[in-house]
Amino acid sequence: MSILQVKDLKTQFFTQDGIVRAVDGVSFNVDVGETLAVVGESGCGKSVTALSILRLIQKETGRIVDGSIKFNGRELTTLSEEEMRAIRGHEISMIFQEPMTSLNPVLTIGTQIAENVVRHKGVSWQKARDRACEMLELVRIADPIRRLDEYPHQMSGGMRQRVMIAIALSCDPKVLIADEPTTALDVTIQAQILDLMIELKEKIHAAIVMITHDLGVVAETAQRVVVMYAGRKVEEASVEDLFENPMHPYTRGLMKAIPRLDMDAEAADKRIRLQEIEGMVPALIDPIPGCAFAPRCPFATERCRTQLPPFVESTAGHIAACWEVERVRELAA
Amino acid sequence: MTDIVQPIAVAPTRKPPALWTSIRRNPTIFIGGLILAILTAMAIVAPLITGDPLRMTPAQRLRPPSEAWWFGTDQYGRDIYARTIYGARVSLTVGISVALVASVIGLAIGLICGYFRRVDAIVMRIMDGIMAIPSILLAIALITLTRPGLGIVLVAIVIPEVPRIVRLVRSVVLSIREQPYIESAIAGGTRGFKLLTKHILPNTMAPLIVQATYVCASAMLVEASLSFLGAGVPPEIPSWGNIISQGRSFFQIAPWSILLPGAFLTVTILAVNLLGDGLRDRLDPRLSRRM
Repeated sequence: MSILQVKDLKTQFFTQDGIVRAVDGVSFNVDVGETLAVVGESGCGKSVTALSILRLIQKETGRIVDGSIKFNGRELTTLSEEEMRAIRGHEISMIFQEPMTSLNPVLTIGTQIAENVVRHKGVSWQKARDRACEMLELVRIADPIRRLDEYPHQMSGGMRQRVMIAIALSCDPKVLIADEPTTALDVTIQAQILDLMIELKEKIHAAIVMITHDLGVVAETAQRVVVMYAGRKVEEASVEDLFENPMHPYTRGLMKAIPRLDMDAEAADKRIRLQEIEGMVPALIDPIPGCAFAPRCPFATERCRTQLPPFVESTAGHIAACWEVERVRELAA
Repeated sequence: MTDIVQPIAVAPTRKPPALWTSIRRNPTIFIGGLILAILTAMAIVAPLITGDPLRMTPAQRLRPPSEAWWFGTDQYGRDIYARTIYGARVSLTVGISVALVASVIGLAIGLICGYFRRVDAIVMRIMDGIMAIPSILLAIALITLTRPGLGIVLVAIVIPEVPRIVRLVRSVVLSIREQPYIESAIAGGTRGFKLLTKHILPNTMAPLIVQATYVCASAMLVEASLSFLGAGVPPEIPSWGNIISQGRSFFQIAPWSILLPGAFLTVTILAVNLLGDGLRDRLDPRLSRRM
């Protein structure tokens, strides 16, 4: 059963240069208790998708122009601001990329966690404080009672991200949106934070939408993956299918761009260079009639440039938007 | 030859008392605060340590400082020491109340301007307008329209100080509201008013406290200037400004009637500024870490 259904979501920003189609018709479902990864390079609309789900797009600059976001059967796009506030941080919560600046420097850790609990659960401050202490213990911060009265600058980046997770999970959310939660942390801490998130997710039966550009994070955490490019979904598959048999040329390009330790095993005499995807992400201002990846795609034909490719299903639940799926597959074989 | 390792006698390190470390770390806060504390104490117990500042002894006019008259007497034979100490009451009252009132009003307007962009455009133009008028001129105009008194002096000094606070608070709010932790608070469902009071307001406190000390010093100076010009507190209330003003005509034969109240004014302003500088260094996290 899916808890979050995003259908044909279109979010646009209105700039002086024109309309930026940051999210251009993205659909995906998140099942109860599942981890869905949304991958793509910078500027492909991952974060905007996340912000759109919580309706955090600033009114002055942009808005959701089309599509539907259903959470637990409720349509979020038409809710009032008041109703939306009750959902944010309570039923759907979010963890941001920058743990160093995502906590208010002038409020204690305890206040920041307890505040969320008081707001959504309507309990007393004392109860909320107990809950905060419990949450700090849960995210494995040592000496939680003392930490409650400390300020963010007294903590390291990894600890702050733990505090962010504690805040996000303090009201037992059904969906946790994590927007590149480990990008700003060093690799050893990254692994700890990811393990912690997965473990806690199971404990509180939440679903996670993991937004990342790191395929390593995807492989480690997710069950299903949505690959985004230029504001559109290009491929969706289970993690195993995606890594074993990527269908879309863009996904294949991403995979080739991962440095691997076993890369030169078969070609000891000649060094294999890390492959990059030629070209740049297109500007999202001009409407793209065909496939957005066509200008960078080695398989692109005239049809790719002019007609929007439909989703093709290979195995169950593995879909990709590409006209040339057959040719891509042949080449891989 | 065998090396014998001599145990090194370690002298027990004595921990300096907490007060001493805090003084050594923030000498400016300490000195400024101490001077202000002494002055405030003197102003409060003025009736106990001096005589009547208004009592005239015509036989003892323009006496130089002596054992009987510590700061000398003025042209009516009034005790300048008593007048100076009582004058501290006016200056400190003006300085502290202007700083408090201007901070509270400025904080409220600044928060609203920084947060509600539509209000901002209008209110900031009004603030610019007030700032364009020289504060002494504005104060004189206000005072001439009403009856002189301490109250109207306060109002007249507060009005030109408010825009300075507003600008400061507004600029802090504008930068804070773009911080990720504000977005994070919104993503947690915080409503607008709570966001402003609980998440943004505390961030404005450090710069506001520092600015308030400068406003305090500036208010004391403006009050002294107004009293000197005869537009300040009524002449029956001794204030440093009108003591200096009344002593002006006899400066050549009785310089003490100006120099000593003037010195008090200077030292007080210096103390407030020292306190402000110290607080600025202390409250700025980037600077305080160095110490």
